[in-house]
Amino acid sequence: MNKKYGAEKSKRSRAGRNEARTAYLCLIPAFLGLTLISYLPTIAVFILSLFKWNGVKDPEFVGLGNFIRIFTKDVYFFDSLKATVIFALLTVVGSILYSLVIAIFLNMKIIGRTLWRSIFFIPYLLPAIGIFTGWKWLYEVNYGLFNFVNRMLGLPPQQYLNSPGQVLPSLALIAIWCSGNLIVIFLAGLQNVPRVYIEASQIDGANAWQRFWNVTVPSISPIIFYNLLTALITNLQVVTPSLALTDGGPQNASMFMSYVIYMYAFVKKKMGYAAAYAAIFFVLVGIFTIILFATQKTALFGEEDE
Amino acid sequence: MAGKSIRSRKKKEQIVNRIVLLVVIILSALVLLPLWWIFRSSLMSNGTLYAYPPSFIPHEWKWSNYTDALKSFLYWKYFKNTFTIIIPAVSAGTITAVFCGYAFARLRFKGKKLIFNLCVGTILLPGMVTLIPLYVFWTQGLGLGGTYWPLILPYLTGGGFFNIFLIRQFLMTIPRELDEAAAIDGASRMRTLWTILVPSIKPAIVVVGMMLFIQIWNDLLQQMIYINDMEKMTFAIGLTNFTGSFGTKWNLAMAATCMTIAPGIVIYILGQKSFVEGIVLTGMKN
Repeated sequence: MNKKYGAEKSKRSRAGRNEARTAYLCLIPAFLGLTLISYLPTIAVFILSLFKWNGVKDPEFVGLGNFIRIFTKDVYFFDSLKATVIFALLTVVGSILYSLVIAIFLNMKIIGRTLWRSIFFIPYLLPAIGIFTGWKWLYEVNYGLFNFVNRMLGLPPQQYLNSPGQVLPSLALIAIWCSGNLIVIFLAGLQNVPRVYIEASQIDGANAWQRFWNVTVPSISPIIFYNLLTALITNLQVVTPSLALTDGGPQNASMFMSYVIYMYAFVKKKMGYAAAYAAIFFVLVGIFTIILFATQKTALFGEEDE
Repeated sequence: MAGKSIRSRKKKEQIVNRIVLLVVIILSALVLLPLWWIFRSSLMSNGTLYAYPPSFIPHEWKWSNYTDALKSFLYWKYFKNTFTIIIPAVSAGTITAVFCGYAFARLRFKGKKLIFNLCVGTILLPGMVTLIPLYVFWTQGLGLGGTYWPLILPYLTGGGFFNIFLIRQFLMTIPRELDEAAAIDGASRMRTLWTILVPSIKPAIVVVGMMLFIQIWNDLLQQMIYINDMEKMTFAIGLTNFTGSFGTKWNLAMAATCMTIAPGIVIYILGQKSFVEGIVLTGMKN
């Protein structure tokens, strides 16, 4: 009896070992990704940040010199911090509100829902480079679409991308326009809200607004969180509009941190200094993410034990 | 009395739905307007482009703008170069994502939770942070500067956590009985994965492929860093340079823009259903 049990057990553990071996083989790409292109370079950036290096000559150890310089003398630091944070807040708030409202509309009993969903989704899929070039034309000061509309409405023409005060909202509008993926995710979440809850609250006499806050929002809160997280991470890292449209201008108003890192590392060839910037940027993204996670109680990518 | 209140509520709901439909129609029109404006501008002469009041529909459809733009916007060269990067990178990313997603969805092994969490952690590591060490690694470490390799090789690692996660989510919806039946029939795990599981998660495969496609198509930053040869230019660099040099000829710039956008629209039409389904599942917890 005992012997039989033991044989069974060892057979099972052999199968288990076999299973684990297959798993590790399958995960070789993930291991490579984790080490070579994720965690090791992150460690490397912190080490490099302590050096002065132009990428050619031998690196020279400067301790915290790069950081001190960035915090005290750098001409871009505060502008870039401001541009990055403001842009991220504008786009995150804007795209979450926009996509949630559209998703709520599309969740109602209206005709042609699939068609409308496709329309709102399309901008997300289009190549960003094309989108930016296209919008540059729409924002054109003399003949662009926006100023044509302003003129028809009798409003004064606006500077949009040429104005330090308007460049970030203008770029944020493009990002919001492209956030159709969030709509699709919200819509799926809304469709999963149990019908019974809604009916129960209707019987209790809740109005539409109360129903939204007390039934819908709690039911879709993991999805709101997921969308907030992806939108935040994407938009804090913004760099393409600076590269393709504004070169960080006007007056450094769109000098995003990623763009400054790019500029120092690859235009000015100050690798160590740029690495210090990247380390600061890493901390900035970390702070925002921690704040966001602190508001969330349940696990997001739930790797539950079986 | 009760019947009356239900009927009046129904009626109220109908009115609300009609108003919402109207709002949705207006909003969709606003969302499409920029695209239409870009397209209509690509077909107009420079003169009519600047006229006031602007015409919503071009008076004449000047397709010659496209042939003019093509004289310095080297579409087919960019096309070839872009696809030289995209085809290997997308294939590598999709295949490795399937392996990794499978391990997380189906297999039991020591350290699964830890490895999974380390993978989740990578989404918090901005590409901008790892860019400089990776650049040094690819160019000075391996001497691959000026080639496409630094743009392709990183995709051999599962194409990023989101794609692995997507495959895992899809695989978890497939009943395990399917694997077990295949195992009884004597199929190995890998055989089961590629002949049974992969065909049943086709939408996920399509989405991962498309996400990678769009990601690479848009990756202006890395392409600018690693490509410095005119012969090797991609769409992203080509269009940026083209509009930079053609600042005033907006009709030609818009023609080039439309040509760059077009593949995105084609892809969307081809994979729309899978795409929506796949994106929905990434956002779902279970």
